[in-house]
Amino acid sequence: MTAEDLSILGLTLRVAAISTLMILPLGLAAGWALARWKGRGRAIVETVLSLPIVLPPTAVGLVLLDLLRRSGPLGRLLDRTGVDLLFTWKAVVLAVAVMSFPLLVRPARAAFEEIDPRLLGLARSLGRRPAMVFATVALPLAWRGIATGIVLAFSRALGEFGATILVAGSIPGRTQTLALAIFHRTQIGQDEAAMRLVLMTVVLAFFTVWTSEILSRRRERQLQA
Amino acid sequence: MISVLLRLPLAGFSLEVDVRLEAPAVAVLGPSGAGKTSLLESIAGLRRAAEGRISINEEVVLDSAAGLRLPPERRRIGWVPQDALLFPHLDVEGNVRFGERAGGAKRSFREAVEILEIGPLLPRSPANLSGGERQRVALARALTSEPRLLLLDEPLAAVDVELKSRILPYLLRIRDEARIPMLYVTHNAGEAEALAGEALLLRGGRVEVHGPTSEVVAGRMWPAIDPRARFENIVEGVLGKSGGSSPAELRLVGGLALAVPAAGEFRGRAVFAVAPDDILLSAEPLSRISARNVLAGRVLSVEASAADAMVRAEAAGVTWRARVTAAAVCDLGLGPGSSVWLAIKTHSFKRLR
Repeated sequence: MTAEDLSILGLTLRVAAISTLMILPLGLAAGWALARWKGRGRAIVETVLSLPIVLPPTAVGLVLLDLLRRSGPLGRLLDRTGVDLLFTWKAVVLAVAVMSFPLLVRPARAAFEEIDPRLLGLARSLGRRPAMVFATVALPLAWRGIATGIVLAFSRALGEFGATILVAGSIPGRTQTLALAIFHRTQIGQDEAAMRLVLMTVVLAFFTVWTSEILSRRRERQLQA
Repeated sequence: MISVLLRLPLAGFSLEVDVRLEAPAVAVLGPSGAGKTSLLESIAGLRRAAEGRISINEEVVLDSAAGLRLPPERRRIGWVPQDALLFPHLDVEGNVRFGERAGGAKRSFREAVEILEIGPLLPRSPANLSGGERQRVALARALTSEPRLLLLDEPLAAVDVELKSRILPYLLRIRDEARIPMLYVTHNAGEAEALAGEALLLRGGRVEVHGPTSEVVAGRMWPAIDPRARFENIVEGVLGKSGGSSPAELRLVGGLALAVPAAGEFRGRAVFAVAPDDILLSAEPLSRISARNVLAGRVLSVEASAADAMVRAEAAGVTWRARVTAAAVCDLGLGPGSSVWLAIKTHSFKRLR
């Protein structure tokens, strides 16, 4: 393993971690709102939120690029605040955050929906405000679904390619994550070096899923004990 | 005093209630689907569609005309639903302490644990509790939140629940020791009479009758109103001496003592149930009979149905119900006001709890 391999791994982990942490509060709020909201228009919002799962990642990347370019609506705002986003690691974070967001929201929403609403009403009748009920009843009861969502979102963030390459390029040492580096190395004929990165992704993926399995089993045992 | 003026649309009908409840304990009777659970949930503030005006001891918790709708967390109403609804992610202690108030009296937790006798259950998980234990934990949890009103929905399976898991003895203690007003939904007319001085009969979303429990319960065609209704005789008293294998003595409030099965070393307040089928009636004084309890009384009413009759009689300060055949009523010439002797075997008394 070379120093370059390690720095690619470091960047990938950092980007995935920041992105997952960033979307966590938003994703939980969205999952909770969708689970509790029974009004009209819910299906539309849900579909829009799920689009990044079904669209080609490059399409999402292009939309982001368009929004963020200097002349784009968001780009102008960023320009004024002096934030340089495109083709930096921050753009990588943004791309993987957008792509992994629905993967967090869906299982979280499903888990929130499974909670008996009377249990939440009962918690309130015992004197707790809605925010406290969310924190002390809804979150712990939906924990498994939320953990699944976190693992899915984190895994997607580790492997995102299409959207990232459009908004951040594949700049070695700056925006080149594992997925991008594997592609880059095979393009320039360094198959062996690419294979080293592939192995790293396998180990990484293995540990991510394994950890989540262990956590959810422990939680299960706690609930049964 | 609780005043309820309520309108709530339900599937197929609407709940429309306008009552003022005065007694410390009020029984809510009625068939399944009459709106009893919806009534409790509306008072607790858990039905957003509820319109009207509800006040507890002059404090208004709902006044939809004035736009006032106190959220459930500010109503201070303890709700114990049919299925207990314990928090599955907390142990029993976590459940009971859930409603503990930050500035509240710390004794409320200990008091609730003591009244409901759930000390040994505290470290357990709700998943490993029996139905009766779950109900007691839910009741303790409601008590710990120091409510000014308790709303209790009889457990779904209560009609055939085991004696020892019945919640009634605990409700009597809460009524007399914690002195928290309560509304108790039940299908058991005996329990209603034992616990509540006031009752309302709900049918099709309307209050059909409201008044003293004995009047609400008496003289109605119950099988037609509520097929699940049960008529038990419930007596409460203080359990005294029992000499080894001989019966124990249950001293009633009126001073009279009944012979009941010995309950080991237990002394103190106890509640017993007797089925109406287990009471013999005689038109003449009984002597030399094996039944240890012979009470002289007076018939209050005879409610005849197809083949048998329910005779209500007052004896020893208690209203008893005995089910006999219509032919027996005829032979004995029983009618309101006639003298009657009740014979009850010691072992017909079943101790609750």
